[in-house]
Amino acid sequence: MLRLVSASKPASAALLIKVAPSTSLAGRRTFASTSARQADITLTVDGKEVTVPQGSALIQACEAAGSTVPRFCYHDRLAIAGNCRMCLVEVERSPKPVASCAMPAMPGAKVWTNSPLVHEAREGVMEFLLANHPLDCPICDQGGECDLQDQSMRYGADRTRFHEITGKRAVEDKDLGPLVKTSMNRCIQCTRCVRFANEVAGVEELGTTGRGNDMQIGMYVEKTMNSELSGNVVDLCPVGALTSKPYAFHARPWELKHTDSVDVMDAVGSNIRVDSRGVSVMRVQPRPNDDVNEEWISDKTRYAYDGLRFQRLTVPLIKQGDRFVSASWEDALAAIADGLRASGAQGDEIQAVAGHLADTESMVALKDLINRLGSDNLTLDSVGGHAAPVHAVDVRSNYLFNATLPGVEQADCILLVGTNPRHEAAVLNSRIRKSWMHTTLEVGLIGERVDTTYGYDYLGADAKAVADFVAGKSEFAKKFKSAKKPLIIVGSAVTEHADGAAVYNALAKYVEQNKSQLVTPEWNGFAVLQRVASRPAAYEMGFVPSRKASQTKPKFIYLLNADEADPKSIPRDAFVVYQGHHGDLGAQLADVCLPGAAYTEKGMTWVNTEGRAQMGRAAVPPPGASREDWKIIRALSELVDAPLPYDDVLSLRDRMWEISPTLVRYDTLESTSVEAALAGLKTLAAGTANAKVSGAPFVKPISNFYQTDPISRASVTMAHCTRAFVKGENYGFSELSSKPEAAYA
Amino acid sequence: MSALRSCQRALQVRAVGRSLVSARSMATDSQSAPPAKATDDKQIEHAPPRDIVAADLVSGAPAELRHRAVRIFQYSRSTTQSGDAKSSRWRIDWDILPGGGRWENPLMGWASSADYMQGTRIGFRTKEDAIHFAEKQGWDYYVQQPEVKVRPVKNYAENYLYRPNKLRIIRTK
Repeated sequence: MLRLVSASKPASAALLIKVAPSTSLAGRRTFASTSARQADITLTVDGKEVTVPQGSALIQACEAAGSTVPRFCYHDRLAIAGNCRMCLVEVERSPKPVASCAMPAMPGAKVWTNSPLVHEAREGVMEFLLANHPLDCPICDQGGECDLQDQSMRYGADRTRFHEITGKRAVEDKDLGPLVKTSMNRCIQCTRCVRFANEVAGVEELGTTGRGNDMQIGMYVEKTMNSELSGNVVDLCPVGALTSKPYAFHARPWELKHTDSVDVMDAVGSNIRVDSRGVSVMRVQPRPNDDVNEEWISDKTRYAYDGLRFQRLTVPLIKQGDRFVSASWEDALAAIADGLRASGAQGDEIQAVAGHLADTESMVALKDLINRLGSDNLTLDSVGGHAAPVHAVDVRSNYLFNATLPGVEQADCILLVGTNPRHEAAVLNSRIRKSWMHTTLEVGLIGERVDTTYGYDYLGADAKAVADFVAGKSEFAKKFKSAKKPLIIVGSAVTEHADGAAVYNALAKYVEQNKSQLVTPEWNGFAVLQRVASRPAAYEMGFVPSRKASQTKPKFIYLLNADEADPKSIPRDAFVVYQGHHGDLGAQLADVCLPGAAYTEKGMTWVNTEGRAQMGRAAVPPPGASREDWKIIRALSELVDAPLPYDDVLSLRDRMWEISPTLVRYDTLESTSVEAALAGLKTLAAGTANAKVSGAPFVKPISNFYQTDPISRASVTMAHCTRAFVKGENYGFSELSSKPEAAYA
Repeated sequence: MSALRSCQRALQVRAVGRSLVSARSMATDSQSAPPAKATDDKQIEHAPPRDIVAADLVSGAPAELRHRAVRIFQYSRSTTQSGDAKSSRWRIDWDILPGGGRWENPLMGWASSADYMQGTRIGFRTKEDAIHFAEKQGWDYYVQQPEVKVRPVKNYAENYLYRPNKLRIIRTK
């Protein structure tokens, strides 16, 4: 049979040569190897010569040649399993078709991915897969974006040979928590979810039991999948076995409008795709970007979107007595102008507070407005945000993640100071774990003990541990000294800590002393991990108070998305304006509430912890009378007689460029030169020279990962997650899924 | 280097019509177009640059369209599926209109829109074609950076590599 197929080869190969150029696009399917550069090999795929690095899998060579190979178990970012057998291809002088994912590409090999032999082999595989796959595509949430559905259109048989009296395999559904819905009858045992949990998420409980037809995926005991990356298994599942519980039966993929945007739940700036239908956001999906989030997003990013529907401010509100009365925009803005006048606030008594979800444009507009009113009291919505941060904001490298997110994987020794990256930047944490697994990376931790999903040397909990590390007292400190690319990750909570200045002082001096490893033209191993989406941009534009302003008692306070403010820090007689999208804490404190737009409703700039400016795009219009935030500030500036000089967002971005060109250089990173970085460290050390050590231990800033901002606090899904994962309670879905009618769902 | 670049930009901003340049500055695709592979002779050659006459003088397109920047982009690959269909073509689309561009019909609950471009997107073979088309129409445009791809070499044998140190992963597959 093989010989027969081989005889027909020249014809089919000639046919493929013609097809190949249109499917292969110049420059798009290239490989970039992160490991050491190896020799390249050349082989022929479908009559097209292709050169790939030695050691590549055959499926990668086929991809590089522009021949897409169907697959279920192979995934670019997971270890190779080789158990679905869908990627069978024909290789010259091979007696059988070979699984191209598990086969290394060999120099000079001739491969056919589209021959009759390959077709027949794949049809056989597909028949076996479908033998135990239920025919519930019409009621399956994966319908329309299902690999099995799509590939069965090409390789599925048009009639059945399935005449088993016992019927199809039946598998009990598992309860993985409030996010991932299981329908295990549909599982084709590709084990992508198991590999993801093992390698990326660090959940070693998810695994397989049994063999062959009896193989099952599960947690071995009744247990939820407790990981902040668990939503990604929904994407990875090539069939509908794992689907999204909050999104279940809400929409079909072909009804959704896709909008490329940027996430604001943490400071990583994960690239997301907002899927909307009509005026509502239906779901949030990751958008692959190897410079930022690879292909993963955290569960908060993915599932907090339902918070965009609840607790929204839709009309301007003015407080009369102890209740809010809805008002028109004119009345609300006039009330603010009156309030400003009546409060008698002059100069620095006018305070602006920028919160976690404030976009860059609105912060620039607010800063300009407050400055025009003669004030320099620009405050950040965090502990100690009323004063300038200890690291100052004059040199970028003092507050940015200089090593860059992909750069973390090059580090061979990482020290975490006062941070839990698992909750502050979940996607970054998966990168550290990846590097920890595949290299000899050593991690040390100073701060509260946390489960990071990778092992670490615990060095202590307070500033004394930092001093010991700097003095080289521990085994880890010695290893760190001798590392080639060491990396110090300082958490954003260190700035808010009483000993923050002392810690920065010690670390800045240490980095300066070891600049031959830590600050070189190729590597800057001093990285500050911000956890708030607006913070890097705020530092970049200098949204910090002057020393004089920070000591002034404010009489007029403008809260821009500020929902973490301590109510006690707001004087009782001050006139308070809140501008934001949710009726959260900030709105309660306000005299006038102005409804703004949430991140899915405005096309604005966000700067992530690396200093990478990225453009989010509006997916849906803002609800009710709410408006884009910078426009509200622009309108208000007219009424307080300090009109801002920009009328459209483009001239506002020109203004941003005047402040800092990096704010509008999208998707690129401007690295700080060695000289500037060292000068920054010198000023940092000088500015914190006489800091005192109180010895209080570092506390992790995020105690509940699932509820950190107004959107996630308004989200029902995130409340379920809090109950299930943080409090460990029964979150209310278990009984539901054990009811008989739920078996059909 | 960065100082030089900012000087260049400063000149641009002052020299050319401002709104146009500002929109270009949103372009996230910083590197210039990848050079067409000369070796691949089967590839269709691009049309040589032509003189541009703004088409909206005669096309009858509403004047408001000139005030909306269009986005030139490639579809990013969907993470829910392994195929990368549709991600090779370049497209033009329009940002949504803020405020009043979309509403829910109170009777049927369907979404209505006052934005006549909300369902329109135009496909092109290359980025240059898309840019040329936008220029021809007199539209302001910005180019969104295509997906950044880094693919490490993968090998089945890595599953069985001997690691001398403490075992760092327990595979439960």
